Amino acid sequence: MGDSAYSFSLTTFSRTGKLLQIEYALNAVANGRTSLGICATDGVVIATDKKLTSTLVDTAHVGKVEAVDSGSGMVYSGVGPDYRVLVRKARKSSQSYYRQYREIKPVTQLVKSTASVMQEYTQSGGVRPFGVSLLVAGIDGDGIPKLYQVDPSGAYFGWKATAIGKNYVNAKAFLEKRYQDDIELEDAVHTALLTLREGFEGEMTSENIEVGIVSKADGKFRVLTPSEVQDYLDEAT
Amino acid sequence: MSRDSNYDHHISIFSPQGRLYQMEYAFKAANTSSGLTGVAVRGKDSCVVVTQKKVPDRLMDPSSITSVFAITPKIGCLCTGMSADAKALVQRARYEAADFQYKYGYPIPVAQLARRIADLAQVYTQSASMRPLAAVTLLIGVDDEKGPQVFKVDCAGHYLPFFGTASGNKEQEATNFLEKRVEAMRDYTADETARCAIMCLGSVLGSDFRGSEIEVAMVEGDGGKFHSLTEEQIENHLNAIADDADA
Repeated sequence: MGDSAYSFSLTTFSRTGKLLQIEYALNAVANGRTSLGICATDGVVIATDKKLTSTLVDTAHVGKVEAVDSGSGMVYSGVGPDYRVLVRKARKSSQSYYRQYREIKPVTQLVKSTASVMQEYTQSGGVRPFGVSLLVAGIDGDGIPKLYQVDPSGAYFGWKATAIGKNYVNAKAFLEKRYQDDIELEDAVHTALLTLREGFEGEMTSENIEVGIVSKADGKFRVLTPSEVQDYLDEAT
Repeated sequence: MSRDSNYDHHISIFSPQGRLYQMEYAFKAANTSSGLTGVAVRGKDSCVVVTQKKVPDRLMDPSSITSVFAITPKIGCLCTGMSADAKALVQRARYEAADFQYKYGYPIPVAQLARRIADLAQVYTQSASMRPLAAVTLLIGVDDEKGPQVFKVDCAGHYLPFFGTASGNKEQEATNFLEKRVEAMRDYTADETARCAIMCLGSVLGSDFRGSEIEVAMVEGDGGKFHSLTEEQIENHLNAIADDADA
């Protein structure tokens, strides 16, 4: 990647030992719309604020939560176009794994390879880091639900529950209060919606948020339809 | 490199606040350099793009001036901004569409083409060696499963499906006009779709125009082809709009 004319890294160490481009990329993430995830005993839920700038947008066909393969999915905060690149690479890597091993790529492996790609873009010539943090959800090879966050630097962390983007400080505080180690998926979805609503500007409807779940029961990741989201919202009120 | 904070104005690296200045400058160039405004509207089973046709010199051959391009027989676009960048983008879009047809044996769906153009635009925002293209694309077509579709693809690689949208100089005013009609748009016939777009352009430009001063292109119905309206057809729409206004 990158032209030979730019075969030097654009992300270089500052005098104080920081990689400023990565820090700036994290600022780009913090400017993005809030996303969050909660890991339950029997599944994982990820959700995001999909609020779009105009009523003219056909929101039904905009997808922020994307399935990578049948067992994992992800959501982001930050620069949308950069996210699409990572989704595509993740999907390809997942198919490549399946071709070789005839098994769905476990979410932990998927996170490792995606994080590795993001790290490359902080070191390779002529490119800038990705301006997104990802929340990746899946059931691992041993049947344990996992939620990971991947940052622009390529660092990744496993979380019980977390939030990224604009309102992440308040959202995380909210989650910390409500999270319990034995939380189940149904409650996790409700908690996720409550957390999203906390920082939401205006009215939260099934059209301006998106929710994805993977449950241990069938091991499949899927994005909830607007009517399913509406059912959860109705239960909450 | 990152110590010199001015460098972030020259190539696609992050500013301290996490912004990409080169991308923002590309937007400015795309919206203001041509001085044109483009409008796209999606109706019940057709979609339309409209823009002004500005011929800068009377000696120029008007047939060579256009912002409207067919990508495939059934998908077309309005590409505004710096005209050379727009043409480069259109050429690449045509190649991608043809390559898709060759590889998979069926015509590329509008959404896929929009995504591809957007992904290509994204690469320029991440590579230092190529600047982003200063062009915004309004892509229209009728998908055989999803019906009429309008996509806007911008310099940053964002792409979204719209019921109606605008680009260029008077983008904000045009969008305001369309937002008021967004519910009605879903049931518009082909004629109503065209007239809505033309009226939108007329209202934001604040002047009447003749058939030769605007370009209108449409895709009508499932199986319809992307085609530009003739001057006569445009005049018919303009007359109908004037009659409705008087009535």
